[in-house]
Order: sequence, then C-alpha cells, then structure tokens
Amino acid sequence: MEITQDNAPNNPSTTIVTCPACGLLCDNVSVEIKQSRIRVLNTACPKSIQFFEQALSDDSPKINGESTTLKQAISHAASLLKASKNPLFAGLSTDVQGFRAIYNLANKTNGNLQHINAQSMARNMAVLQSSGWQTTTLTEVKNRADVIVCIGTDIISHNTRFFERFVWLNNQKSDAMFTDSGKREVIYIGENLNTKAGISPDGRQPESVNCSKSDLPEILAVLRALIMGKNLKAQNVAGIQISDLIAVADKLRQAKYAVLAWIAKDLDFPHAALTIQSITETVTLLNQNDSNRTGRAAGLSLGGSDGDTSANNASTWLSGFSLNNDNIEHDALVWINSFNAKKLPEKTKHPLIVLGNANTKFEQTPDVFIPVTTPGLDCSGTLFRVDSAVILPLKKIRENNLPTLSEIARQIEGLL
Amino acid sequence: MGADGVVQDIYIRNGKIIAKPASHEKISQTFDLAGKIVMAGAIDMHSHIGGGKVNIARMMLPEFQETKNYSEPEAHICTPNCSHHATPNTSDTGFRYIEMGYTAAFEPAILPINARQAHLEMADTPMIDKGGYAMLGNDDYFLRLLSSNADQKAINDYVAWTLHATQAIGIKVVNPGGISAFKFNQRRLDLDENHSHYQISPRQILKSLSRAVHDLGIAKPLHVHCNNLGAAGNFETTLNTMGASDGVPMHLTHIQFHSYGTEGDKKFSSAAAQISEALNRNKHITADVGQILFGQTVTASGDSMMQHLNAKLANPKKSVIMDIECDAGCGVVPFKYRDQNYVNALQWAIGLEIFLSVEDPWRIFLTTDHPNGAPFTSYPHLIRLLMDKSFRNDAFAKLNLDAQAMSNLTSLNREYSLYEIAIMTRAGAAKLIGLNDRGHLGAGAAADITIYTDQSDREAMFAKPDYVFKDGELVVKDGKVVKVVWGKTHTAKPAFDIGVEQGLKQYFDKYHTIQLDNFKISNDEIAEDGRGGIINHTN
Repeated sequence: MEITQDNAPNNPSTTIVTCPACGLLCDNVSVEIKQSRIRVLNTACPKSIQFFEQALSDDSPKINGESTTLKQAISHAASLLKASKNPLFAGLSTDVQGFRAIYNLANKTNGNLQHINAQSMARNMAVLQSSGWQTTTLTEVKNRADVIVCIGTDIISHNTRFFERFVWLNNQKSDAMFTDSGKREVIYIGENLNTKAGISPDGRQPESVNCSKSDLPEILAVLRALIMGKNLKAQNVAGIQISDLIAVADKLRQAKYAVLAWIAKDLDFPHAALTIQSITETVTLLNQNDSNRTGRAAGLSLGGSDGDTSANNASTWLSGFSLNNDNIEHDALVWINSFNAKKLPEKTKHPLIVLGNANTKFEQTPDVFIPVTTPGLDCSGTLFRVDSAVILPLKKIRENNLPTLSEIARQIEGLL
Repeated sequence: MGADGVVQDIYIRNGKIIAKPASHEKISQTFDLAGKIVMAGAIDMHSHIGGGKVNIARMMLPEFQETKNYSEPEAHICTPNCSHHATPNTSDTGFRYIEMGYTAAFEPAILPINARQAHLEMADTPMIDKGGYAMLGNDDYFLRLLSSNADQKAINDYVAWTLHATQAIGIKVVNPGGISAFKFNQRRLDLDENHSHYQISPRQILKSLSRAVHDLGIAKPLHVHCNNLGAAGNFETTLNTMGASDGVPMHLTHIQFHSYGTEGDKKFSSAAAQISEALNRNKHITADVGQILFGQTVTASGDSMMQHLNAKLANPKKSVIMDIECDAGCGVVPFKYRDQNYVNALQWAIGLEIFLSVEDPWRIFLTTDHPNGAPFTSYPHLIRLLMDKSFRNDAFAKLNLDAQAMSNLTSLNREYSLYEIAIMTRAGAAKLIGLNDRGHLGAGAAADITIYTDQSDREAMFAKPDYVFKDGELVVKDGKVVKVVWGKTHTAKPAFDIGVEQGLKQYFDKYHTIQLDNFKISNDEIAEDGRGGIINHTN
C-alpha cells in the first residue's frame, strides 16, 4: 500500500507525490486526498493542478460509443488487430511499464510506434545522431550555473517551476553549492518570450536579444562564429547589433558554468535540428581545451511530457533504436493517452482503438475505447525526467477500478 | 570444487547441484556428457550492459543496428532489430551471453542517481543473472564529507547506505575526483594533485573508499578506474595507485588502458612488464584487463574528464559528454580500433602481455570492458589468443610494424590451460564478487553449468557450448537458446547506522532536485512482473 491514509472516508489525508505533468517531474508536490478527490496544496503550477485535480469519470469500456464489458472490448480490439497487417501504436503517452507492454504488443502485431511528441523529439535525436552533444542535468544547473541562456523559449510555458526550483533559490531551504543563486545572469534570445521569471529576487532584469523565431538560425550561427573567435565584418545580423551578440559571447566565455537551454518543441521551423546543433556546437567550442578558459559550459534540453523521454529510452534499450518521426503507413490506429484526456488522435479512416484516460472526449468515436489507469494517480509507475538522468517512481493515490495499460496490452496479446 | 580434469557425475535438484542422492531416489532426466568439458556458468565481472551511458550509445549510433529475423523461442521477446554487438539491445545482451555459456554479468558503473534506469534495463535482460557496482568518489556528498574531515564511520555508513539504495553489490570509483574536477574546469587530475575546489587528492579518495568497503565486510573490493585513463605515461599513476590503499584490497579495472609508457619515437609504449610485475608483487591488488580487439565499437565511460579529451578521436565523429546531478558524469565516444594503427596495435599487444605476465589466474580477469575495448561477443576469440601461441603470434605478425617492434609479446610462451580459463572466467570472478554459490560445481552451488566439446580451435569451442543450464534448467542446446528465463539481481547489503539519513536528507532537501526517498530503489521495483528477484550476498 503506497498511501498512508485514514480509512474513514471523510477524513482527508495528505501525501507527497511526483507530478508527471511536465518533464521536470517535481516530486515534492503535496496533495490532499479525500475519497477520490485530490487537491494540490503547495504549488500553483497549473499543469500540476490540472493533472492531480482531474475528475475520475465513467470508466466503462465502449465499442462504437456503447458501453460494454471489458472482456468484450478486449476481444474486439484483438480482432481488429488480427485483421490489421500493420497497425500504428501512436500517442504513447504512458510510463516505462506501459510502454514496455505496448512495445511487446506492437512486435506481436507487426506494428509501429510513434509518440505524440515525435516531431520535436526527432529534432534532438537528429543532433545526437549526427554530432552528439555536451549536456548537463537539473541538479548541476541548480548548484553551478552562473549564466543561463534561454534560446527560443521562455521555458516556463513548458516547465512552470524551472526558475523557482533550479534558478532563484531562497537559500534557507534550497541553495546552490557553488554559486550565488541570486547573482545568476539570465539571457533570453527569441521573440515574445515571457521573461518575467528571469527577473532576479533583487529585481535585476534579465537580458533579452529580441529576434523573430525565423531569425534564430542566423543569430545562433553568428554566436557560434563569435565563440569560435571569428571576426565579423557585418555590423548587424537579422536586425540585431553584432555588439549585442559579442556581449553575450563574452558572458559565456567568462562564465564558470554557462548553461545553454532550448526546448525542441518551441523551435518549430524547418531544419530546426541545425539550430539545435548550432547551440550544442557552441557549447563544444566553449569546452575546448584552452588554458585561457576558466569555466565550463553545457547544453540543456528541456520541455518534455506525456512520458516522451521514458518511451524514447525504453524503446532504445528494448529495440536498439530510439523512437523516430517517420511517416508510417498503417491500416489500424491504436491511440494511447494515459496522462492527458485532451490529447486526441488525428482523424483516421482506419479502425481506431483507444487505450487511454477515462475522461477523454472524442471528436471521432473509436471502434474500441478502453479507459486505463493514469500512472501517478490511479496506479504506480516509473518515469524519466527530461534530462534522462533521473528516473522516479510514481504513486497510486486514488482508489479506482481501472485496469492498467500493461494488463490490457497483455490480455489483447494473449488473444492474438 | 577445484576439480581439474576430474571425471564425475553431477546431480541437480531444484536448481542446485547436490551430492549423489540415495539409491532409492528417482532421477527424472539424464544427460550423457561423456568426454565433454564441464564448467560452471561463466561470470563477466565487468561489462557495461545497462544504464544511462549504454543507452546513450545505442541512441547515438543507429547505424550500429542491423535487422535480423530471430527464430523461436528468442522471437518471443526479441524484435527483428538485432543489434550490433557493441550496442546490443537488452534481449540481445542476454541471448548472446548465454549462447557463450555466460550465466551472469555485472554492470560496473551504476551512477547512484541513475541506478533505477540500470535496473530497468537489467530487468529486461533475459537469461543471465546481473548486478552492478555503484559509483562514488565524484559525488559532492562524499567529497564534502571527506574534505571536512568526516570520520571513517560516517563514510562507511554513507557507502553502505548507497549499496542499499542502489541495489548494488560493489562500489566503484572512476577517475577519483576527476569527474567532479572537470565540472570546475580542471582537465587532468593526477593521483596526488588536488581537486581545485575541495583541495583533496585522488589518493585520499581511494584510501577512504577502499577502507569503507573493507570495513563493511562486503566481498567485492573497491573497483578502481584509475586517473589518467588512456594517457601516454599513465603507468606510473597506476603503479602509485596500487599503494594508495595502504594494503587494503582494491581491484584495478581495465588495466590495459592504464599501462602506457612514453618511450620510443611516438612517445607511446608498453608498460605491461612494470604493471604485471607490480601485480605479481602486490597481493592485495586484483585486476581485469580490458583487452582491445580490432573493429568498430563504442566507449562508454563515467570518466567525462578523459572522454572529453578522447572525443577528438571519435569514429564516427560524434560523442556525448555529460555532467550528471552532482553525482558523476559520463562520456560516450565511438571508436574503431585498427590493427595498422600504431597505438591501437600496441594497445592490443599490451593487453595480451599483461594476461600472459600475471602469474595468478585468481587475480586477473578476462574482460574487454565491453563495449569499450571490444564487444563481449569476442570473448571466444580472446580465449583462443590466450590458449594458442601460434594463433596469437600469427595475429601479431599482421600488426603495424612499428608496434611489433615495441612489444615483447612473441617472447611470451605461456598458453593458458582450460583450468586457468575456468578460474579466470568463473571461480575467480565469483570469489571476487562474493557469489559463494556460483563459479563452481560443488554440492550446494547453483546449477549454472556450461558444457563444451573439447576442440583444438578454442574460439569455436567457447563460442558454442553443447548445453547451458541456468539454475538447473536447460536453456541452451547446441549453441541455441531453447528456453527463455530471466535471472536474478545479486546485491550486498551490509548493516549500517540509519542515522546517516539525517545528514543526507538535509543535503537532498537543500541541494538536490529529488526527494531522498525517491533516490532509494525498493526490492519490489526489481521483482516487478514476477520476473526478477534479489539475492543478497551479505553474511
């Protein structure tokens, strides 16, 4: 039993849980549990509140929108998969255990896999597989970073608590071992970014290089050239004074530990991988052996949700391959959205099976819908944090009658 | 135990080897092994089979993968995506090991913060038993303890707590202090050089950690990846490291990579003679070789400092260097070892020189530091190099000529016997790690048994056993898997003062980014699905 709660139904209990709503996996969220109602107590993070406070609705499986028994739903799903030559298992919004079960089912059915975040993940994978990179993780950022550059992103739109948990620390409860957290320099490069979170506790404004998203490739190429030591003849690039970029380059060179952060999802323009590569190559140049250098630098890919980092890692150790974003031919679609009821499949002309969040409201009625547990709420589980270094257990915190995704996948597999 | 060339029957019941049963007891199945070579299942005491850096290697190198169709029963859990042997997927890892008669492998570099991933991957590795060594000595908690002159008991408690929390069976230190120093922009760290922030030396780290491991009474001595990996002239660091523990046992891993001199025109030479002589003399030191073999592979190491230096040699040209969680780091660099390259050819010769010059097979172990020197699937080839002098000398004659001129390999006439191979790959490894019921065929041992046909081509012989039994079940016949099993996880959990968690909790709350409780891996997590299970080897 994972929850120590009083059995008296009206007596609420509180517990500390891990939040899977974004890639940060904050594991210090305090929730109050009263029967199946949950209230978040110690954070205003809207993603966290939306996740934990989602209602538990009708949990009956459906065939063509009509309630049915679990047995019949499983049997119908199995018959659709039997008739399919190459099903696509998409969405893949689940944890390690759920992914592993779906991976096995996909193998059994000649199926392919595609995560809901496949497009943005593919941008990072393209860089990793072409040149590699030099990166860091959140605890290193918290304890060492003295210069943080947010490239094409404000970070908080994806990772609400990034600055609160890892940048501006209150020094009493939370502190940095190797730098004065209040004196960190935050630099934004991009357009229409919410830079409020970058203001230091003593009111110091962050620096901003305001440029349109489409100019990021050029500006980052220039920044890389400056770090390489090239002399540029141009006075400005994409409307930005070169002197502004020289100032950024100087800060990076003088930093003890510079962190260059990006979120692949926010770099949504053609050939974005090349821009990510400009960032990672800038880091590599900053780390070159040079007796004049007094500091280090590291890249940091943020964002992440719907178990993308978990699915990608598990796919890699199970098959040898990371997930990709290939346009995959298929004749049946299996959609998995355990975490978020709002993540819907694209309209399809093929048979549609959904194994997902009980609250899902469909635009297209699936042939089969089997509500499954949400890891971290209805069942235990395991998730990777966005930096891939930390893997955390998720708890079951509310009573429910839902089956797990693994159970359903195994039962379907058993009928094939 | 200690049976060399003895002809006898072996009885198995409930997964264990037993003494001859009473005559009235019924024997349900018999295998005729007349004339066969029977050994305990082999144990790889150092092989990177799971965890962050191994998975980064797979992720970075899709070109290593190839597609192959498996037949039953492997097809049950193997995908059509067979893996290159340098970066096998988890299913492949288990199948390729058991096919060679290996029944256990130990992941030698588990970052404590990343231990959950290592165990997830090992849980998905079929056929073999597994376990791992947790990395300490570059984590800021330990470095803070040591630099503030904490007493040895506090260190011991922290080390024991780490073994429990990470479900490991041993402790490893990688480039003592160096991974942390790299985060402070130090680019090299020698044994008696100070870490710029903590003002402590690798020697102090080694002394403290080796003492802790010894005091706790676990079998596995401190697993040491020395400072200065791969650097010309590093043999002196390695020799000095042997003296750093004041006679307390230490295991120096992949010692081939730490046995380089600076003689000759190219300022890179073999120091195998000095290293072997020191190993023969220092009875408290054990070592595994980390032999390189020619071909494409990838190096995956916790040593971010030295891998950052090596990244310029990457082939193909890409690499990953990571600083990780005030805990450690990693560096993943693909390598292609070529027999016509002077340095690579000499590395090959240095490894073999060490194998042939270290006298006691109980203190030297057969590894390629998979996949860093070569994939583990090359073990049968390596065994033949050790057992067959003319085969070895023929291979040597094809090397880069300058390298040949710098090696005395052909003057080493030793050929390993089958018994010595069995010690090095079974009994010795089991004794080193503390697996009392493995590595031998005596009554009470687990029935992990490998049966070979005696062949003069030792590579062919060790590549394809006739039978392999895992815990008494026939799992391989004629080199092919006939039954899928999952193996257990070996751990060591010495007693400690739980009061250590007070300081740890304060430290985690203030500086870390996860809760202390979530750092710890429960037994249930490893035994999930009823597939895995934990064996604790603490007395």
